[in-house]
Amino acid sequence: MNSVAKLLSGRVIWVTGKGGTGKTSFAAALAVVGAAKGRKTLLCEVDTSRPAMAAIFDKPADFEPVTMAPNLDVSNVHWDGALAAYVQTYIPVKRLVKGVLNNRVVRRFLDFAPGAREMFILSRIVALLDDYDLVVVDMHASGHAYSMLDITRSAARLFRSGPMLKRAQQLQEVITDAQTHTAFVALPEEMVVNETLETVERMREAKLFGGEPVVFLNRATLPSLNDEERTLLARLNAEELTVQAREFVRAGVWEDRLEQATQESMQRLGEAFGHTPVLVPPVGGGGIPRHVVAQLAVALGRQVGVSRRELPWT
Amino acid sequence: MDLNSWLLNKKLVVCVGSGGVGKTTTAASVGLWAAIQGKKVMVLTIDPAKRLANSLGLEGMPPEGAKIDLSSMPDAKGELWAMMLDSRHTFDDLISRIAPSDEVRDRILANHIYQQMSATFAGSQDYMATERIYDVVSDGDFDIVVLDTPPVKNALDFLESPGRLIKFLDQQVLAWFLEPAKKGLIGSLMSGGSALVLRLLSAVLGKAFIEDLTEFMQDFESLFEGFRVRHDEVQKLFRADGTTFVTVCAPTESSTDVATFFQEELHERELPRGGVIVNQRHRSDAGTDSAQEVLGAIVAKLSTDLEDKTATSLLARLSMAHKRLTDLSAAEASVISPLRKASMGGDFYQEVPRLDTEVNDLESLRRIGHHIFAVPAVIP
Repeated sequence: MNSVAKLLSGRVIWVTGKGGTGKTSFAAALAVVGAAKGRKTLLCEVDTSRPAMAAIFDKPADFEPVTMAPNLDVSNVHWDGALAAYVQTYIPVKRLVKGVLNNRVVRRFLDFAPGAREMFILSRIVALLDDYDLVVVDMHASGHAYSMLDITRSAARLFRSGPMLKRAQQLQEVITDAQTHTAFVALPEEMVVNETLETVERMREAKLFGGEPVVFLNRATLPSLNDEERTLLARLNAEELTVQAREFVRAGVWEDRLEQATQESMQRLGEAFGHTPVLVPPVGGGGIPRHVVAQLAVALGRQVGVSRRELPWT
Repeated sequence: MDLNSWLLNKKLVVCVGSGGVGKTTTAASVGLWAAIQGKKVMVLTIDPAKRLANSLGLEGMPPEGAKIDLSSMPDAKGELWAMMLDSRHTFDDLISRIAPSDEVRDRILANHIYQQMSATFAGSQDYMATERIYDVVSDGDFDIVVLDTPPVKNALDFLESPGRLIKFLDQQVLAWFLEPAKKGLIGSLMSGGSALVLRLLSAVLGKAFIEDLTEFMQDFESLFEGFRVRHDEVQKLFRADGTTFVTVCAPTESSTDVATFFQEELHERELPRGGVIVNQRHRSDAGTDSAQEVLGAIVAKLSTDLEDKTATSLLARLSMAHKRLTDLSAAEASVISPLRKASMGGDFYQEVPRLDTEVNDLESLRRIGHHIFAVPAVIP
């Protein structure tokens, strides 16, 4: 089974990576392909005041899952909703819940209480697992994603007893379940690879992986020039050239560098992850989110035998 | 006014933007550029990935900061320092400074709610950035301080994070928690105005936690005034003469979107907006002639000793590469044009081309600085 198939056959996928690598697009594309594979799929965006789903699907996500395509629901797991949902599980009287949440002191307290935010949001995501085969979570950038998943461990120390401790233990079970995967999105750039490797190491040490993590190398440019072509390019680059000719050579050097960076990134990521990164070439789409996601879904679908026609949404 | 003299008149430069747009690199470049011209500069980064250390070739920077070796740049007249924020230490320092007695200080530092809060939980890092920046600026050891901010895309909330703590610790909230504590928490759960809510909170969060927290807050009460004063000072600093906020973005739709949003937020919060830097810009001019027409003759001349197919295949590759680069350049131009137009409200607008090499040494930081400060920016 290849990496994409492995991800899509699990229960939970946390999608993370350095900022700007395309996390949100990958999360959405994975969910689209998961749905096409016949799995009842939920895509979650997490605690964001700038929801991205409206730019990808036809309508914005709400706290309660919204169906965007057959087998594909999307939820915006925001703090207010997650908090209310959490409180409701312990205080079944709606009026009381409202009373508690509207209490100014309580609000301030919960806004600040260490870890409460992360705990409630993760709780909500885990609660939704009952209704879906697969939950794909568009997490924060790697550093914050690490903190968020690590919260459950700290919470066990912080909440010495009571419902939060119990909840933290439940979350811990889900996080370390073999069916829970973390997908990293990286770019063929040294800094991005560095940060990815650092995060993987930290998460491994903190035992935050259930199943083996998977890494995607986005905007991977292959194949390379051969040695003869590279020699010729170097000779050209050293020549006095017209402005117009220089543009072609510059473009060639630019692309050759991308190719070499891709090779290096593949090697470094491959060593750290123990598997070859899933290569995803630059997709078109002109930076328009829904086009980018559609193209990514086609590329990822190809890896698991899902054709363009089978995708529920492109 | 050119950007160079604009920079040299600043005391605090705050770089904001979403992740992956070269914000850390920009902060380092700004710092280096000022240092070359004789300023003593401190670059503060709070990024957990230690990227700045990375880009300056520093390994394991000490918490109090380190002076960057500029000996490879003999024309550098000033000094460049860098500091990574370790939220735990900074918070401990702060508590030590404002605690009314050694006893209170020790009790707070030993409290496990405090320990978790200061070290583990997301958010305190943001908080400490704003705290620390105040110290560094007000100590007056540096001519210019450059702050690299956490990669947030949601809001500039981190600027207000001291405010979040203040709000939480305001006297009313404290009183509410401390009142029952004075009577004994358990006893007061059964009586008094806040009893029901407190009982419900205990049901949700656990009684033990509420007890720990109450104890923690009793100690924290004595620190409240210290926190409030610092919060006010930090807010004043952010709005002071000599402070400027620079929004950094990349030429992609999601990034420029966040940048536009940040520009509006800065305006709403009445924070001094400097301008926008668009990083990683690809540039290429579309020509109408083919690679064969432009380069055919010279390629033939240079490839006589190479395999036959080499000339043809390289020309084909150059054509494709050129088309891709030109398309990318055009796509970027259209993505950033709204931002460019929007920034015509008195802010500068500057584009920095993507360098041919990875930016991981001083020389490439200087090249970026050159593109920001030595190339005329659009200043309306």
